[in-house]
Amino acid sequence: MTEPPPAPRLRILHALPAGPLMALPAVLALLLFVALPFATAVALSFTDLRMGSPLATEFVGAQQYQRAFEDDSFRRALANNLWFAAVVVPLQTLLALGLALALNRSFRGRAAFRTLFFLPVVFPMALIAVVWQLIYAPGPNGILNALLATVSFGAIEPLDVLRHPQLALPALMLLSIWQGVGFQMVVLLAGLQAIPASLYEAAAVDRAGKVSQLFHVTLPQLRNPLVFTMLVTTILSFRVYDQVAIATRGGPLDATTTVMFETVRTVFDRQQVGLASAMSVVFFLMVLAVTLVQRALVRQEREID
Amino acid sequence: MDPPDPPGRVESFDPEANPGQDGPVMTRTHSHATTALLAILLGCTASCGRDEGPQHTDDGALILRAWAHSGQEEERRILEAQIERFNQQNEDLHVDLTLIPEGAYNGQVQAAALAGELPDLLEFDGPFVYNYAWQGQLRPIRDLLQPGTFDNLIPSIVDQGTYAGRFWTVGTFDSGLCLYASRSQLEAINARIPTHPSAAWTVDEFDAILLQLAQAAESGHALDLKLNYRGEWYCYAFSPALYSAGGGLVAEPEHDTAAGVLDGPESIGAMRWFQRWIYEHGLVDRNVDDAAFTEGRVAISWTGHWEYENYLQALGDDLVLIPLPDFGHGTRSGQGSWSWGITAACPQPGAAARFLDFLLEDRQVLEMTGANGAVPATRSAIEQSEPYAEGGGRHLFALQLTEGHVVPRPRTPAYPVITSAFEQAFLAIADGGDVESTLQTAAATISRDIEDNDGYPAPADERHGEDD
Amino acid sequence: MKHRAARLLFFSALTAVAAVYIAPVAFMLVGSFKPDARVLSEAGSWRAFFPAEASLQNYRDVFARVDFTRYLLNSLWITGAITVGGLVVNSLAGYAFARLRWRGRDRLLLLVILLMILPYEAIAVPLFYQVSLLGWRDTYLVQILPFIANAFSIYLFYSFFLGLPRDLEDAARVDGAGALRTFVEIVVPNSKPVFATVTIVTFLFFWGFFLWPQLVTSGDRVRPLPVAIATFQTLPPLRWGDILAFGVMMVAPVVAVFLLFQRWFVRGIAATGSKE
Repeated sequence: MTEPPPAPRLRILHALPAGPLMALPAVLALLLFVALPFATAVALSFTDLRMGSPLATEFVGAQQYQRAFEDDSFRRALANNLWFAAVVVPLQTLLALGLALALNRSFRGRAAFRTLFFLPVVFPMALIAVVWQLIYAPGPNGILNALLATVSFGAIEPLDVLRHPQLALPALMLLSIWQGVGFQMVVLLAGLQAIPASLYEAAAVDRAGKVSQLFHVTLPQLRNPLVFTMLVTTILSFRVYDQVAIATRGGPLDATTTVMFETVRTVFDRQQVGLASAMSVVFFLMVLAVTLVQRALVRQEREID
Repeated sequence: MDPPDPPGRVESFDPEANPGQDGPVMTRTHSHATTALLAILLGCTASCGRDEGPQHTDDGALILRAWAHSGQEEERRILEAQIERFNQQNEDLHVDLTLIPEGAYNGQVQAAALAGELPDLLEFDGPFVYNYAWQGQLRPIRDLLQPGTFDNLIPSIVDQGTYAGRFWTVGTFDSGLCLYASRSQLEAINARIPTHPSAAWTVDEFDAILLQLAQAAESGHALDLKLNYRGEWYCYAFSPALYSAGGGLVAEPEHDTAAGVLDGPESIGAMRWFQRWIYEHGLVDRNVDDAAFTEGRVAISWTGHWEYENYLQALGDDLVLIPLPDFGHGTRSGQGSWSWGITAACPQPGAAARFLDFLLEDRQVLEMTGANGAVPATRSAIEQSEPYAEGGGRHLFALQLTEGHVVPRPRTPAYPVITSAFEQAFLAIADGGDVESTLQTAAATISRDIEDNDGYPAPADERHGEDD
Repeated sequence: MKHRAARLLFFSALTAVAAVYIAPVAFMLVGSFKPDARVLSEAGSWRAFFPAEASLQNYRDVFARVDFTRYLLNSLWITGAITVGGLVVNSLAGYAFARLRWRGRDRLLLLVILLMILPYEAIAVPLFYQVSLLGWRDTYLVQILPFIANAFSIYLFYSFFLGLPRDLEDAARVDGAGALRTFVEIVVPNSKPVFATVTIVTFLFFWGFFLWPQLVTSGDRVRPLPVAIATFQTLPPLRWGDILAFGVMMVAPVVAVFLLFQRWFVRGIAATGSKE
């Protein structure tokens, strides 16, 4: 193979070390658009910076953090995020696992079912939040209310789910699960298909039943995809914003407010950049803590193995 | 007993008191060390906003950028048509309109203001003017307008545009609230139908009527409060009830705290009624489809002038306009509306003012108010406007404004926080939250904001030095 | 016989679950063809899923009321630019970290992995303040530039390239090709799966991106679809039929692409999970 001599342009590149050059654009952009803004958030969180105010910005120490934690709505938001994760992660994982197991069997029409359960993944959350307001519409005409009335033979009175202090957050959880379960299912399905058939054959020789196979072969083999999807779902639970901003505006009585919703409200509706920055830092620490805990758990399990 | 004067009114507006103070408004204080440090950290100095100077179209016309809210469909259509007409009439000017969604309007303005990216002409909901003027985003327009234009304005519009002794913003219409009702349904329960503000239902009377109507209604609901709206609606529509009860949003006229006012016994009492109607008795339709009244699900709709045409179409002769209930000190309607200002950054304020003069011509005012049902902002337009004359369908709105049954929203730069806190409190109360503690929280939020901003010191005249 | 009964039971149960699962989509699709007044009044009965008086009126209304085409093109341009730009920049970085030896590499790699934990929501506030200060709001650039470089994409590329056999690259190197040419001519053609994965994950995420464009767009000009539908919902008059039609048109292109390239979608998504 005769190669033409490298173009002069490339020759210049040869002169420079290729590694840093190739990594440069991405690393520089990450520093500029991720690391620097975050450093700014930390810095701003110690000031009382307000957008547009003609008054001078002052250093206020940890006052913004104190205010954030004294704010009932923000505290409620933290609790809501934790509750959201505590419900959605196990529920969605179980559902996804069930679907993956069901759709891993071979039967006619399997592909169509897979497509169908995956479909909501390509729906933007903003769209889902808009459409589901109709599903949750109050009064007997709401789809959910009609469904509940039918299955209960009229025993369940029409609810205003999105304005119900106890049901509003679960309603948002439901639509989030509806959108998210397909993603988890696909990852788990791939995990299932990667399990060598020989393991099941060996189990069958040992006369292990279906249930025993599930617990002794399938689940241990699925550990990595399970951990991955649970981590992703947990972090997504902390990032919940679109549904809240569109469908409930944090109400009723802060029942659906989230850390991100409070943060955006603080900076965009109230121009309090300093306070919102403190909230952002708290948000990051929360995500960081979850990630570290999950990592530590995984490492421990590995050591046990 | 005569109802007391609405609090916070500027007793007299004397345009001679502050002659000719156009030109630069207050500049930002960038003196503090922290600010300088931030500027370095952000890789940016105080001058980093865009300063482009005047821009022109290919035909050489000066471009005037304008922001307006994307309100009712008809309003949008007419504003667009008017701008087209203006651009045709004035070959040297070209108004370029951007419509901004109403829900996040203030946030958009504040963010754009940061880099001096505000358009030349800015429309905003009236009470925000005090904040924008305080921040230095606007310039006074009294002397930019034709003398005839200013003198033609009705008093409530002059009041709304006045802050710290200067005139900053002008609307082409004023607003009003009322109860729209179905006459036949009221007659069916033998309810009294008051049409003059002085004869408004007492709140007890209103409450009894709602209960009766709900009982008679198939839906079980009696009232529409437009709970499907967002943002400014709550403060505009329901804070007048607080004033009607003798309470309010912030201390008047000092505007130095909300404590004891927003969470005072009178305000608490007024908000208890709303909780009773919405939460305890479920008398209010959630209005998910914005059609509770037109579909006949409720007999009464508590809303603004802009629904007049729509409701008239749906109910015809059965429609009747009733003043809002009297919570103790006489009925009170909200007032003030979307309004135009010229930004401090506008390089050619004289040209921008020509557009405002144009919008305040009788033809344009009548065209707009003919479509949105609002009260015209000029005396000459009101004279020519039949619906507002005695016997006209919307006479009530004009009556409320001219006879003082309205309450302006607090004239303080703290207004954006006030409205945001009030909205949150109203919704919480509507959802069953404890009235007293909810209002206490809201009052504390507002008071703290005022404190944080050193009480929003008024722009002292000496800050304008040579201009005065 | 017992087998067949079990099979039937399994199949009916799955069908039932699937029917409930897809109901919201069907409701949206059917409702978008109905006269506005029927959308909500019929939502509580079987009629919700059968269009009476079907017409395209709602679709015509959408185009008459807002500039849908513009939103669509905005979304395509923004999402496309982030995706394509991201493929170039992140794959280069992934390769540099995986295969080339240079000073500071390991430290920077650690930084990238650390930044992976930092969700963009945590930087939304300061970034919003910064771009507002710089006067970058309401542009395409501010919706594209900050999101091209992506730590997770770099990591996906990095771990894929680590797993590629070295022989081909070595052969190219022996022929005198530089790192960049080796990458472009040898590595990229052999790495279709990871490019597909990053494309799909990036595209889906930014197609639905809401928070950031909500903060930085003002008017119609550069507004993408997710913000546009939320705004459309609050634009009077409230017409649910129009809103559903908007929704159908908004999701239809992605659903079409998904159905056409389903295998790639599924593989691409699954591949994100195999990295740990």
